[in-house]
Amino acid sequence: MSATTAKPDFILDERGVTQNLDAFVVAAAFDRTSSRACFALGDGTIRLVDMANRTEWRTLEAHGGAILALAPDVIPGGFVTGGDDGKFRRISADGTVSTIFDAGSRWVEHVATWPGERGKGLLACAVGKLVHLFDDAGKKLKTLEHPSSVTGLVFDAKGKRVAASHYNGASLWFVAAKTDSPRKLEWKGSHICIAMSPDGDSVMTSMQENALHGWRLSDNQHMRMSGYPGKTTSLSFTKGGKWLATSGSDAIVIWPFTGGGPMGKAPTELAGGDDITCTVCLAHPIQEAIAGGFADGVVVLADVQSGRILPIAAPGRGPMSALAWSPDGVHLAFGSETGFVGLVDFTKRS
Amino acid sequence: MADTQQDQVPVTVLTGYLGAGKTTLLNRILSEEHGKKYAVVINEFGELGVDNDLVVDTDEEVFEMNNGCICCTVRGDLIRIVGGLMKRRDKFDGIIIETTGLANPAPVAQTFFVDEDVKARTRLDAIVTVVDAKHLPARLADSAEAAEQIAFADVIILNKMDLVTPEEAAEVERLIRQINRFAVIHRTERASLPIADVLDQGAFDLQRVLESHPDFLGDDEHEHNEDVSSMSFEVDRPLDPERFNAWIGDLLAQKGQDLLRTKGILSYEGDDRRFAFQAVHMIADGDFIGPWKGEERKSRIVFIGRNLNRPQLRRGFEACQAS
Repeated sequence: MSATTAKPDFILDERGVTQNLDAFVVAAAFDRTSSRACFALGDGTIRLVDMANRTEWRTLEAHGGAILALAPDVIPGGFVTGGDDGKFRRISADGTVSTIFDAGSRWVEHVATWPGERGKGLLACAVGKLVHLFDDAGKKLKTLEHPSSVTGLVFDAKGKRVAASHYNGASLWFVAAKTDSPRKLEWKGSHICIAMSPDGDSVMTSMQENALHGWRLSDNQHMRMSGYPGKTTSLSFTKGGKWLATSGSDAIVIWPFTGGGPMGKAPTELAGGDDITCTVCLAHPIQEAIAGGFADGVVVLADVQSGRILPIAAPGRGPMSALAWSPDGVHLAFGSETGFVGLVDFTKRS
Repeated sequence: MADTQQDQVPVTVLTGYLGAGKTTLLNRILSEEHGKKYAVVINEFGELGVDNDLVVDTDEEVFEMNNGCICCTVRGDLIRIVGGLMKRRDKFDGIIIETTGLANPAPVAQTFFVDEDVKARTRLDAIVTVVDAKHLPARLADSAEAAEQIAFADVIILNKMDLVTPEEAAEVERLIRQINRFAVIHRTERASLPIADVLDQGAFDLQRVLESHPDFLGDDEHEHNEDVSSMSFEVDRPLDPERFNAWIGDLLAQKGQDLLRTKGILSYEGDDRRFAFQAVHMIADGDFIGPWKGEERKSRIVFIGRNLNRPQLRRGFEACQAS
């Protein structure tokens, strides 16, 4: 990653804007229309940037403690957040902060959203063992209870099901079911984050013991991938679901989900070789490319087919903790534990 | 290994039976002016009389690690909470974890040895056990957890001293010493004591224990093999790190179930730094903690547990000396 170009910040200088925000960057996200970026910070604030004017950054006090989770709202221009002040909140397009749900003394650790047509969008938040589901107006639809604390929360691509990871496996719920009983995906141990493949057939988790576990729903096959030196905290499928990108190693490790894989197939390593841990990774929403952030502050874009690496940010600005792509694939946002954030515009130039 | 203790958040674990005075102590820590801020992790929200945005409400979630260690259990909720608290690291100086009255302290202690992220960002400062001076003899008679909580303690707060006679006080202290000769004991009423006696103890630094307990290495007159007891050993010549690792690794693997806590300050051959070793059951950890300063370079080790075999432990430790 280093020494691949004389000026490792070339892309950032030419196409980026950066800020030093002096707080842990917990998450980044773009709104549904790719017109606005949001950074959620450990000091309880969010920072909003419109892509039309990237020099103007707006600060909003969103939570009384640290923000723990962020997702785009189902409504254009808006976002939802969860905090350790027990609040599940919505930041509307005009910057109004409102509370959807108050969990009292409990942390709102995870949030997820699914856009859908008007009136059909879904919001969800996880508080301890409970997942609360809301319609897009913020009205509570139901509460789903799990055997232990929820550690990850994700909707499938169609918004039909929501999956939560916890100890000893994951639970898969039909959102619209009349009676609520989940499909239980069981595997002993502590599962710490979750992802679903775009076709909805594979549920993947990462585990406390530096390994991945997965369930293929169509034939009940288990998947088990190990060999990580550290914990995997990012799981991200590429657009067509051909690859699963993962953090937790000294490269972006990608597993093939084609031709019967990942079972019996070796993973591919991207942007490796420097012995620096990949702390966060995210697949591009349209192309087969993966953005990766590393413990030394490096950010790269890796092309899956060629293995070519485009350096985006040089080392030295704190371990990378957040990545987001705009839905149109044009903008990348990143942030570090020490508060360095950047936005890069990949628009084609003639 | 570098001397990394400075950057790590100190963690104090507070154990003790219901009614012993844990909540009273926590309220004091949260309300007194001591110039520091603590994030407090509790199980029963609402008992605390102090409103504080750094109080975290949790459910104790103990799970088994799939790492081949049969007794290795950790607190999953703490792994998540420590991760969450690190997002506002600048807002507090230390973390205090209260356990429920009946809790076995091992899973919470092991969490700080086993999880790599937690280990990198925090250090277990001390296990503090609050004990009801009046009711301890009865608790010891009717539950194993009471003895374990004392065995695990670095600091014991012998509370409710106003409710016992001097004879009862002497007897309860004798009972505590039978289990754990190495903990620092503070006698209190209404858990009233300087906060500095509880927090930031650096309790696994045996040097401090030695300073406060000159008779630390005295022979134990009362050895009850089935009950929890404690023993210590000392050798003069520097240790061979490889021999020590082989011996302690084997010992913990075989007797880890019985060994509740093991702590040592070791002098390694060819290194002028003190090596601090500690273990909870089978899970061990060690780090250099700075140079020897003036004091005699002796290696000392302490075992607290059941079925301790004194001659065997002594011979084993002595054989670790470099030849």
